[in-house]
Amino acid sequence: MSLLTLHDLHKVYPNGTHALKGINLDVKEGEFLVVIGLSGSGKSTLLRCINRLIDPTSGSIRFAGKDVTQLSGAELRRYRAQIGMIFQHFNLINRHSVLHNVLYGALGRLPLLGPLLGHFPDELKVEARRHLTLVGLADKETNRVDALSGGQQQRVAIARSLMQHPRLLLADEPVASLDPATSHSVMQYLEKINKEQGTTIICNLHFLSLVRRYASRVIALRAGEMVFEGKPEDITEAWFKKIYGEDAEEVEIK
Amino acid sequence: MPKKSKSNKGERIRRTLRQWQARLIDVLLGTYLALLLHRIWYYHVILGTPPPPFDVGDFPLYLIIGGGIFLVLNFLKASPATLIHAHPEGRRRSIAVHLWWWIGISTILTGWIVTRVSVFDLFSTEGLQGARRIFSAIFSPDLSILWQGLTAIVETIYLAMMATLFAIPIAFILSFLAARNLMQHHPVARLIYSLTRLLINFTRSIEPLIWAIIFTVWVGIGPFAGMLALWVHTVASLTKLYSEQIENINPGPIEAIEATGARWIHVLWFAVVPQVLNPFMSFTIYRWDINVRMATVIGLVGGGGIGTLLMQYQGLALWHQVGTLVILIALVVWVMDYLSARIRAALA
Repeated sequence: MSLLTLHDLHKVYPNGTHALKGINLDVKEGEFLVVIGLSGSGKSTLLRCINRLIDPTSGSIRFAGKDVTQLSGAELRRYRAQIGMIFQHFNLINRHSVLHNVLYGALGRLPLLGPLLGHFPDELKVEARRHLTLVGLADKETNRVDALSGGQQQRVAIARSLMQHPRLLLADEPVASLDPATSHSVMQYLEKINKEQGTTIICNLHFLSLVRRYASRVIALRAGEMVFEGKPEDITEAWFKKIYGEDAEEVEIK
Repeated sequence: MPKKSKSNKGERIRRTLRQWQARLIDVLLGTYLALLLHRIWYYHVILGTPPPPFDVGDFPLYLIIGGGIFLVLNFLKASPATLIHAHPEGRRRSIAVHLWWWIGISTILTGWIVTRVSVFDLFSTEGLQGARRIFSAIFSPDLSILWQGLTAIVETIYLAMMATLFAIPIAFILSFLAARNLMQHHPVARLIYSLTRLLINFTRSIEPLIWAIIFTVWVGIGPFAGMLALWVHTVASLTKLYSEQIENINPGPIEAIEATGARWIHVLWFAVVPQVLNPFMSFTIYRWDINVRMATVIGLVGGGGIGTLLMQYQGLALWHQVGTLVILIALVVWVMDYLSARIRAALA
């Protein structure tokens, strides 16, 4: 069953950049979809259009059978709350504790006043600890997040997104600022969430070796257009040149 | 190719605008130089007499002669404003550069004449005697008024503190409205942003001394007037400092909290506030430190505290007492400065 359907999605930024040029995409429940392409090819814009951090210029977005292109206000927030997101630079709240950063993932379903006064229900804390255990950071809950390593911070971000009980998890180059070993660890946590909890994942990646290892399906963007769609093993040398340009060389990440 | 011709048109419009801008600048500069050449160089330097009082009717003459010559030079691409946008060579460049020198030197000369700089007054025997009298009195302070002075300066410190404290919550709220990055998503928000900025800049452009004069008329002479004057100015200053800090934050956490489906107020509280809290505290302490110094000056016009006391003794020419107060002020300012620097270093 298809979870997300993009139809003829365009995004033109105020400065005139045409970042997405008619993207049509159908994402099935439980997929691990990887988006590849050069920097500036529209990958980040695509992800941010899906959870409406960026408003598409035209086209439509359907999520779980419902048109979400025009949602606003509380409806938009309820929609976003179903979609987790992790980022290249983690985007955690520095100075705050690991546990609190995870709790912030639940803000979408909390009342107005409690969180402002620093009050989070006990059952949420129990849940947050469960997610922290899942990503292997059970002993770090009182640490400040800015004291953690990059890989640990990204795992906190994953735990934060799990607080949303996401049906879909967007990952915007989640390992681009991590070293190779840590990259695999973070990717394996994403794989685990995908396999064990059935969470659909859409992930932007740079390294084809990671793509081949983790993706169930791949799409490639070039200058805002979808130029490839298929299985990771179908990306041949010829396709690689087409996606990344004639001069590109593949770099391995072990 | 509709897109390309559009960008060419934009480029043409921009070029035309630049040309008119340069012409306007040249006319203004030419008028200015003509005024200075006539009234400063001709009367003050060549004739050695002050020029006749300025008559508005003369202005068109300066405009036509000075502005006219510069405008002609502009068309010949040898005017000062040409240098801003273009790179003329040879004699044209030389004329333009020379005219800039004339404008610069004439301006400094005018400043000298307007402020009546006089080395003679500064180092005359009579003047130096007066200075010695005051300095010797200041350095032999009358300590019998020490207690009175201390009471007054404590009043000044509290006055500065209250002005700062009352300013914090208002500046805190206003700073979010005056932060461009938070207010650009909606036309109404942009309007609020512009209005807040306008209000802040207007308030800030009026010196606390003027505010003190306004408030002494409003609520009467005394510390309350001084506090209000400092408060108004502090609100404006802190709002500006705070909002610039907000504009410099990392937008990543905002995206992350927004992506959880959080309310806008939660996004502000959890993604923006943690990033700006320490700098805000640092600015606030710095401002308190400034306010203590300003409170002293404000006392001079009736804003209470040590400034008012100083004014009274100075009016009676009791220089030894003035000395006591001056030393007290210097001491407190020094201590405040030191403490605020230490606290701010700890917060950074």
